[in-house]
Amino acid sequence: MTSFNDTRHLWALGAFLAAVGLVGMVVRRELVPDDFGRTGPYRASALDDIAARPSLFQADATCHACHESVEHERAGTLHEAVRCAHCHGHAVEHVATARRAAEDPSITLPPAAEWDGDFFTKVDLYVTKDRATCLSCHAAVVGMPADFKKIDVALHLEEQGASEPLAKETCFECHGGHDTAP
Amino acid sequence: MSLFELPILPMSATSAAGGCASGGCATGGCASGGCSTARPDQASETSRREFLKTATTLTLGAMSLTLLPGAMAGDESSSAAAPPGGGHPDAKKPMYGFLIDTTKCIGAGKCLTACRVENGVPDGQARTWVERYVHFKDGRVEVDLVPEIGYAASGEPQPEAEDVLRAYFVPKLCNQCVDAPCNQVCPVHASIKSPEGIELVDTDRCIGCGYCVQACPYGIRYMNHETNVADKCNWCYHRVMRNEQPACVEACPTGARVFGRIDDPDSEISKRLATLPTSVLKQHLGTIPLTRYVGLTDEVT
Repeated sequence: MTSFNDTRHLWALGAFLAAVGLVGMVVRRELVPDDFGRTGPYRASALDDIAARPSLFQADATCHACHESVEHERAGTLHEAVRCAHCHGHAVEHVATARRAAEDPSITLPPAAEWDGDFFTKVDLYVTKDRATCLSCHAAVVGMPADFKKIDVALHLEEQGASEPLAKETCFECHGGHDTAP
Repeated sequence: MSLFELPILPMSATSAAGGCASGGCATGGCASGGCSTARPDQASETSRREFLKTATTLTLGAMSLTLLPGAMAGDESSSAAAPPGGGHPDAKKPMYGFLIDTTKCIGAGKCLTACRVENGVPDGQARTWVERYVHFKDGRVEVDLVPEIGYAASGEPQPEAEDVLRAYFVPKLCNQCVDAPCNQVCPVHASIKSPEGIELVDTDRCIGCGYCVQACPYGIRYMNHETNVADKCNWCYHRVMRNEQPACVEACPTGARVFGRIDDPDSEISKRLATLPTSVLKQHLGTIPLTRYVGLTDEVT
C-alpha cells in the first residue's frame, strides 16, 4: 500500500485557508462596531446618537415659560394653534441664550431684530408687524379648505377701507396680533 | 506557494475515479501493457480515500476558523435580531402613528420651514413637502408643490377658481413602512428600523451608495448634498424620544398633521384613526405604511 504523495499540497491549502480565516477575523473585528446587533441588525448606539440631537423648533410652551402674558392673550382665540415661531421667527439662538441666562445672570438677551421679510431666515427672533406674515397663511389660494378664513387681499382691504393698503402694518389697523378678532 | 498546482490534484483524482467507476477497468489506459509506472487500482483507491479524508478535515477546519470571528463579534446579535422586515420586535415598545388630514391642510408651508430648522435640511432638498392636487372641471388633474414661503409670497400664477372642481393639499413625509424596501437594500446596515418601528439613517455608517434612495417607492430618501450620505424624514425621532411632537406637527396651525401613540386608545391619533376613513399611499406595493391619510383620491400616489 503506497501512501498519498502529494500531502504538501493539502498542507499548503490548509495553511492558505487558515491565513484567510485569520485575516478575515482581524478585518471583521476592525470593521464591525462593537455594539453591532445588540438590538437588531444595526449599530445599537446609533439610536442614542440620533436621539441625542437637539430639539430646535420651539414649542409655544417654551416661549410661554417666560412670556406669560402672551399665553393669556392668545388663549381661546382663533390663533391659539398658530405657533409663536410662525410670526416671530424660530428663535433658536434666542432660546439657547435665554436658557444660559437663566443660570448665569451676567448674560443679557439681545433685543429682537427687525424682520427683513425673508421666511428662510426665520431662525432668529423678530418683532413682526408685517402683512406678509398674515398673508403667508390667509391669502386665498386654490385648494384651501372651505371653512378656512381665506382673504382676497385687494377686495378685503377695499371693503374695509384700509388707509394704506400696501403698508406693512395694514392688517393691524383692525386686527390684533395675538388676539386677532377685528 | 504552489497554489496554482492545487486544482490538478482533485482533477486527477476525479478522472481516476471516473475512469474506473464502472468497475472492471483493470488498469485503464495501461491495460494494453507497456506503461511501466502502472498505478495499481488498489493504491489509487487508498490514496483517493486518504485525500478525501485530509481534504475534508482541512476544509472543515478552515471553515470553523472563518466562523470564529462571527461568534466573537456578534453572537448575541443573531439571537436577538429583529424579525425579518423590521416591525416591532418588542411588543412593550410604544407604537407610533402619523395621520395626515388633507381636508385641514391650508398649504401655508409652515411645516416645511419647521422641518428645515429642526433637522438642518440643506436648501433645495426636503424631508417633507406639500403637493397640491387641482382637479379641473374639464377632467385635467394638475399637481404642483407648495412653495416653502407660501403661494402669496412666491407670486406663482394660480389657477382660476371657477375652473376648479376640487383642489386640496397633500403633505408628504416618510411613510415608515413596516416592510420597508429602503431598509432591505442597505449593504452596510446603516438603515435602521428602530424598536419603535421608526426608520432611521445611521449617518456614521452610511457609505452614500444611494441604493436606498432608489428603493424608496415614495421618493422620501435623498442624498444630503452637504453630508453626502442618505437622509430622510424620521418623524423627528430625537423629539419623539423626549415625548415631544415632531417639528412639522408642532408647527402645523390647523391640525392637519397628527402624531401620537397608536397603542394608547386615548391619544388624539387613536381617536381620529378609529373614526375617520383613512388610507395609505401605494397600498398595492405591500410596504405597510404607518402614515395614514384622510381624504385622498386615486390620483395621489
